[in-house]
Amino acid sequence: MTGAALVAGVAALALVPAGCGDDAGAGDSGPLVVFAASSLRDVAPQLEREAEYVFAGSDELAAQIRDGADADLFLSASEQPVADLRAAELVDESVPFASNRLVVVVPKANPAGVESFADLARRGLKLVLGGEGVPAGDYAREALAAAGLEAALANVVSLEEDVRGVLGKVALDEADAGIVYATDVAAAADDVRVVDIPADVQPNVRYFAAVVGAGDREAAEEYLERLQGEAGQRILGDAGLTAR
Amino acid sequence: MSRLFALVLGLALTVALLFLTIPVVALFLRVPPADLASQLADERALEALGVSLRTSVAAHVLILLVGTPAAYLLATRSFRGRSLVLVALELPLVLPPAVAGLGLFAAFGRSGLLGSELRALGLEIPFTELAVVLAICFVASPFYVRGAIAAFESVDPQLLSAARTLGAGPARVFARVALPLAAGGLGAGSTLAFARGLGEFGATIMFAGNLPGRTQTAPLAIYDALDEDFEVALALGALLVAVSLAILLTTKLLTTWTRSAQTSGFPSAASRSS
Repeated sequence: MTGAALVAGVAALALVPAGCGDDAGAGDSGPLVVFAASSLRDVAPQLEREAEYVFAGSDELAAQIRDGADADLFLSASEQPVADLRAAELVDESVPFASNRLVVVVPKANPAGVESFADLARRGLKLVLGGEGVPAGDYAREALAAAGLEAALANVVSLEEDVRGVLGKVALDEADAGIVYATDVAAAADDVRVVDIPADVQPNVRYFAAVVGAGDREAAEEYLERLQGEAGQRILGDAGLTAR
Repeated sequence: MSRLFALVLGLALTVALLFLTIPVVALFLRVPPADLASQLADERALEALGVSLRTSVAAHVLILLVGTPAAYLLATRSFRGRSLVLVALELPLVLPPAVAGLGLFAAFGRSGLLGSELRALGLEIPFTELAVVLAICFVASPFYVRGAIAAFESVDPQLLSAARTLGAGPARVFARVALPLAAGGLGAGSTLAFARGLGEFGATIMFAGNLPGRTQTAPLAIYDALDEDFEVALALGALLVAVSLAILLTTKLLTTWTRSAQTSGFPSAASRSS
């Protein structure tokens, strides 16, 4: 009897790898799966608690969707990742649903004495940005260029994989400054101070939503409607995002 | 019944073997060898390999210099609290890498435990190549120290005391008797530690950050290239697999070589080494 049980156990184990690949198909009745930009971490769950969320850099999420990840809805912090997926016919037409602005964060003690955006170009300052292709990083470089602060790029000590990495290094007081979205600050409000970036160099930070073709369209569209509706826009507004 | 049992064992081995090798084989199937070379000529890939090589070698020298005498002490002396020391030395083996990174910040960061002392010495470690070296040392050294302790323990103590009675001082016994006899095991531990260091990711990205040409090692470059240049990521990945495989094979050869040396020359040591 024990021998037979063992065989059954091993046979079940052997089946596991084969079964793993099968659940990528559409039509499963599990909760709605939302792939959302890291900066929406505190916002998106308020809209629908039942949904399952995956938070990461928008470009990383797009790469996962391209590789067949089980997403129903994609909330991107910039247009490019959704546009790329649209071009590959992996998502439906995208819609802008909110906009954000960038701020400079410095450690509470502000060891480098950063008081203005222009201070980021001061020599010897330790600046942390998002990497190439990470929207928060690309927008930050755009803003620095618009303000004529290209010299600040020489101060970069680390290119983080997502905007929370930037915030973390500043909150730990290891970097002198970082550039993040206004909506990220709340997560580290006790450890960082905010220095504003002038409106005339603010990049056009718009969030785009797209329903993933292979996912549960109906539930995704319903979520999207709520996001664009009154309740959704109020939650976005409370979090520091402006309605599109 | 015994045939059934043998079948179960064989099946289990097949499952394990397939599960562990298919991802590696699949990686190579996606990178044609001809493409591999051209992708690796990518400037970012070369830079990252350079950083990886420099930091891994530097860390390894430190690990050998400090780890060897420390392991010798632990292998040849018994003292109160020895087990606690062993546990402390092995703790990094089981720490999640991100926790290791946070710990390094908490200790050596500028607002860390030793931050002000380091600053007085003019040292700011985070985000530098030194930070990468420290991260590698932290996660990789236990692999060497463990192997080195076992290697020294398998040296027959009678040979050491014989050398002593023939008039050799303790340092000479260590250098001329213990080291050569333990060389195979030391080499095996050393290659394992080097391979672990080369693949280091979590503690590095936490403590040293990620800046191409400065702190971006090959594993970080792979992660970085995933969303932009998948081919480069694959090529770098395949290269790391090849290097790690070569290192493991070396380890195996060294271990086999030691064992045969022991069985031919020092039977008592061989029986204790397992």
